[in-house]
Amino acid sequence: MAQIEVRELTKIYAVGDQNITAVDSVSLAIDKGEFVSVVGHSGSGKTTLLSIIGGIMKPTSGQVLFEGQDICTFDDDRLSEYRNEKIGFMFQFSSLLPMLTARENVMLPGLFRKTKGAGDPGTATELLNMVGIGDKCDTYPSQLSGGQQRRVAIARALMYDPRVILADEPTGDLDEETENDIMQLFRRLNREKQITFIFITHNRELAGMAQRTLRMTRGNLREA
Amino acid sequence: MKTEFTFSSFALRNVKRKPLRTVILIIAIALLVSALVFSLSFVRRVSSSIRLASERLGADILVVPAGSRGFAEDVLLENKAKSFYMDKGIINKLKAIQGIDSLTYQTYLTTMQGKCCDVPETVVVAFNQDTDFIIKPWLTEKFGRKLQKGEALVGNESAFNIRVGLVEVDSVLFGNIFKMVGILDKTGTGLDNALFIDDGNLEDIMRKGKTDLKPGQVSIVFVRVKKGLDPYKIAGEIEDSFVEVDTMARKDIGKSIITTLRDINYIFIFTMSLICFLSGFLTWAIFSAIANERAREVGIMRAVGAKESHIISVFLLEVIIVGSIGSSIGILCGTSLSILLAKTFSIMKNLPLHFSIAERIIIACIGFLIGNAVCIAGALSPIQKIKKMEPLMAIKKE
Repeated sequence: MAQIEVRELTKIYAVGDQNITAVDSVSLAIDKGEFVSVVGHSGSGKTTLLSIIGGIMKPTSGQVLFEGQDICTFDDDRLSEYRNEKIGFMFQFSSLLPMLTARENVMLPGLFRKTKGAGDPGTATELLNMVGIGDKCDTYPSQLSGGQQRRVAIARALMYDPRVILADEPTGDLDEETENDIMQLFRRLNREKQITFIFITHNRELAGMAQRTLRMTRGNLREA
Repeated sequence: MKTEFTFSSFALRNVKRKPLRTVILIIAIALLVSALVFSLSFVRRVSSSIRLASERLGADILVVPAGSRGFAEDVLLENKAKSFYMDKGIINKLKAIQGIDSLTYQTYLTTMQGKCCDVPETVVVAFNQDTDFIIKPWLTEKFGRKLQKGEALVGNESAFNIRVGLVEVDSVLFGNIFKMVGILDKTGTGLDNALFIDDGNLEDIMRKGKTDLKPGQVSIVFVRVKKGLDPYKIAGEIEDSFVEVDTMARKDIGKSIITTLRDINYIFIFTMSLICFLSGFLTWAIFSAIANERAREVGIMRAVGAKESHIISVFLLEVIIVGSIGSSIGILCGTSLSILLAKTFSIMKNLPLHFSIAERIIIACIGFLIGNAVCIAGALSPIQKIKKMEPLMAIKKE
């Protein structure tokens, strides 16, 4: 059984009088531990597809089965738990909360767990060390560079050992060296922890680092 | 090292993000609660004083000279120095009315410092010790005898004024020297500010000619009706039988003030509703702005696993922090205002009742709850709106 199975997924946005089909009857299966890249032009529906798989957007029709369960039928509480426990998100922009330090941002998902408190600060510190900014634990996002903020977001995505990491252009705007570092880190985590990675990129070279590349064109998906 | 953070600390940090905006909201809530506590204190103090006074009088009906109802209320509720008289013969006439159980009478004299007396302006109550049932319950246990000629008792509040807390002090009343021999317990009525003498002293007082009281006059007759009878019916019978007197049933004491108070109450309620609405509107406007500004943050929190209930908790905690600070400041200001301004309102200046700590706490709690409720009501709609947004839509909202 595939870890993620997408069946006939469609998402239509109503923009004014017009309906725009962002994702058009997409079907897809991804196994546990796969390292998948999604490429395509801007507006081709990549972010929408990733968002629906991650449970931060509802589809118009279709199913997303995660380990056999259709997340599209989950109520808000269950869907939130799914995002909290199974998925690690990385967005294409800074996604840190400004009034929290780097470590607190990493611990943030723990605040929404059933267990009291925001989780173990020691683990957060270890993760920040692992992404190379262990000296910035108590620094606020406004004092971090773009690359450092991305690294904090990566640490946050990894905080509670997610099964899948969904990354929307995780290295966009970063210099080549940082970009390489981050991709190496992804590869390592994928190998060592069997975390499934699905990442969107415009960079052919980065896409080439994936075991499997998918191409989105006007809402349709095909293997590249 | 700051490592532990919870919903409360998270909310507190959010509150601190825009200090000016937070301060404006706190001031608005403080003003609301301050006005609320002040008006509640005012209305409650006046109405409680009146109720207490009528409950403690111990008589079912008061008989006063025709047209003197207001004067009697002034004396009994506010200790305003007033004198009014009627012929003492009314007592025997009243005894003929069926259904009257017992009656006693009092005569009120007004002191004038420097002219007749050496005490500040107050009412001197001359009462008949044989028939009295009004003063007796308030005599302290220590005073276990009858008042003699030339002796006076002091109302609980007056004791301070004429410094008889030191016990036996001599004062000149209407040209006669009186020995202050005891202090009455607190009654919670206007009588707390009065002086009490036996009516056997009246002859000597009139002889000195320093009062306009004439022989054979009394000010008020207190009537107790037999058990099970309707005081209103007997009061009506008294008025029908004797045109020279007016009556007041116990429950009607302070009726005119209560009617005025009810109007004041309506004005307060209307004003408070407006202030509540304005504060709620301000909270709504501020939290709408906050919700818009933080849409992306909310989206991020949702993406990392925050449930709708978590978002509500964070925002509600912020509202409660602001509401609680504002309400607490409001309670302090409102209570201080009610204490300070009480001295400038003539209606309150003479009221005998002071709030107990428990009553002040109740009023403070009401203020606190309403302050927070207004805050929550104002913020509820923006919070509902933002928690309902799809995480991705919230994240994309700039």
